[in-house]
Amino acid sequence: MPTVAVELRDVSFTYPGLDQPALEGIGLQVLEHERLGILGPNGGGKSTLLKLVLGLLPLQEGRILIFGQEPRVAREAGLIGYVAQRNEAEIGFPLSVRQVVTLAASWRLRPWQSLPIASRTRIDELIDLVGLGELAERPIGALSGGQLQRTLIARALACTPKLLVLDEPTVGIDAAGQAQFAELLTTVHQQLGLTLLIVSHDLRAIAAGCDRVACLSCKLHSHTSPQGLTPAVLAELFSHDVAGLAGVHIHAHGPDEPCPIEQANLAGVPVKLGVPVKANPPVDCREGLLRGGEP
Amino acid sequence: MKISEYFDTWSSFQLFLTPLLAGIIVAVLCGMLSVLVVLKRLAFVGQGVSHSAFGGIGLAAVISVYAAGSGLGAAMGQGSVGEFVIVVLFCVLCALGMAAVGDKRSTKSVQVDTGIGLFLVAAMAAGGLLVQYANTLARSRGVAEAQRSWESILFGSVATSSWADVWVSLGVLVVSVAVLWWFRRVVLFWTFDEGSAPAFGVPVLVARAVLMTLLAVATVTAMKICGVVLATALLVLPGAIALRLSRVLGRVLVLAVCVAIAGVAGGLWVSIETDAQTGPCIVLLLSAVFVATMVQGRMGQGRMATRSIEGGAAGKMGNPGRAAR
Repeated sequence: MPTVAVELRDVSFTYPGLDQPALEGIGLQVLEHERLGILGPNGGGKSTLLKLVLGLLPLQEGRILIFGQEPRVAREAGLIGYVAQRNEAEIGFPLSVRQVVTLAASWRLRPWQSLPIASRTRIDELIDLVGLGELAERPIGALSGGQLQRTLIARALACTPKLLVLDEPTVGIDAAGQAQFAELLTTVHQQLGLTLLIVSHDLRAIAAGCDRVACLSCKLHSHTSPQGLTPAVLAELFSHDVAGLAGVHIHAHGPDEPCPIEQANLAGVPVKLGVPVKANPPVDCREGLLRGGEP
Repeated sequence: MKISEYFDTWSSFQLFLTPLLAGIIVAVLCGMLSVLVVLKRLAFVGQGVSHSAFGGIGLAAVISVYAAGSGLGAAMGQGSVGEFVIVVLFCVLCALGMAAVGDKRSTKSVQVDTGIGLFLVAAMAAGGLLVQYANTLARSRGVAEAQRSWESILFGSVATSSWADVWVSLGVLVVSVAVLWWFRRVVLFWTFDEGSAPAFGVPVLVARAVLMTLLAVATVTAMKICGVVLATALLVLPGAIALRLSRVLGRVLVLAVCVAIAGVAGGLWVSIETDAQTGPCIVLLLSAVFVATMVQGRMGQGRMATRSIEGGAAGKMGNPGRAAR
């Protein structure tokens, strides 16, 4: 029986002072070593979901467990690695790639302690893994956008997490860079055996690096129409990009058929997202349910 | 009086030595912090904190009148250690207030610069009223009014530094260096990437409180040298200059401290030789160095651009492939 890495049950969240919930009745299960992409339009609740998973927002309703622990506990135990949108870091900062990665591993140490040699070796290995071995001493201000993002991935991995969460990882990266990024994620996933959770509004970013994709627009599997994510857009993007890039197949049910996941949610049964509902492209379910290559 | 005249006797030499030592100590403290101030874009915080000192000065003035005749009253005179402590506490509270009001995570927060502006003017206004109240109170109680030199408050009075100032500055420096060393990783992580810090579990509140407190203490200490108006210069210019010269953290820190020391010592020397006020001399000297590094940087860029244009032209004429590379 595989371990459950991330489990959300009936999670709802409303920001104080707002009437509309940002998230409503979210149920989700990610198994260890899985790669789940969460796709959704801007304002669809992706960031809120991410903050809840990281334990940065107080849980209002429902339950979230990360490897069986409360999100805040899991985060403080270093189980979660986080890669923010790449433009958030101060890029002119006088730190080298190695110093940035080392900081993530060393900030918990007592002031008089220095990083053990084993950890330093591991940091060197991580920098090599993300392909920055030759640039380890370079100031991060002198890196390209893609290299900075690789640094931030190495930094997230330096905490030896079991779950790696990436927020909009391909913003501002061109097609070639995205392909390299997908390759890097595959390498990281294979070599370190991590569970990946990727949140993005960019279908290609998710399709290229994920086994499964869940669509989020307030409800994780509702049938209200999210703006900008029409069936036509989904079908077109998937048929052109997904099949070609990563062999992800679309499994969706038609608009007139009952959605088993929604029914399960209504019945209060925790469901595993990504259960292939019905292989029936073109996609008709508005928050299409996608699953990676079926055996 | 020329510099050489200070070397005639020990007592005259002390008149030169104490300002120099006090200045160097403050330079080390501010130079070190200025790197973080520039990187975290907190220059305006220094300005806000130094102006908040007016409130602290007013508070100390009122306490000195109320406690006149007792030991506490005597310890609250202008330039005394007691006044310094009150002003430091007041400025630390203001700095933490600015940080709290501008805390991005709070839904009730305002922009950081709005918070700084608010505390700056409120503390200055309170300071003005408190000093006036202290003077009225002193007259009604028959206590001698404190003679405050606004010029020295505004522009500093390093020339009158005593050994007590040197020891207080040294104490502040030792404690500040120890605190910064203790929290160095947390503060550095937070300064580098405030957005991601909470997700890594980095205690953002602690980092912010530590840096704001250190800044407040350093600003008040620097006020003695440069005055309220110019104290920020020591907390901005050395870091700004050092960051133009290097992108390696260790080197940047050492450079910033050296630049600050050179600025303070040079400014002191110029002011003695020309009989000008020390604070403005230091600030103008550091500003000139900053402008020089900018001009030098621009010229360097210009040379590189010329070189690349020449290289490109040569490539077009001779080897198109090389130009493309």
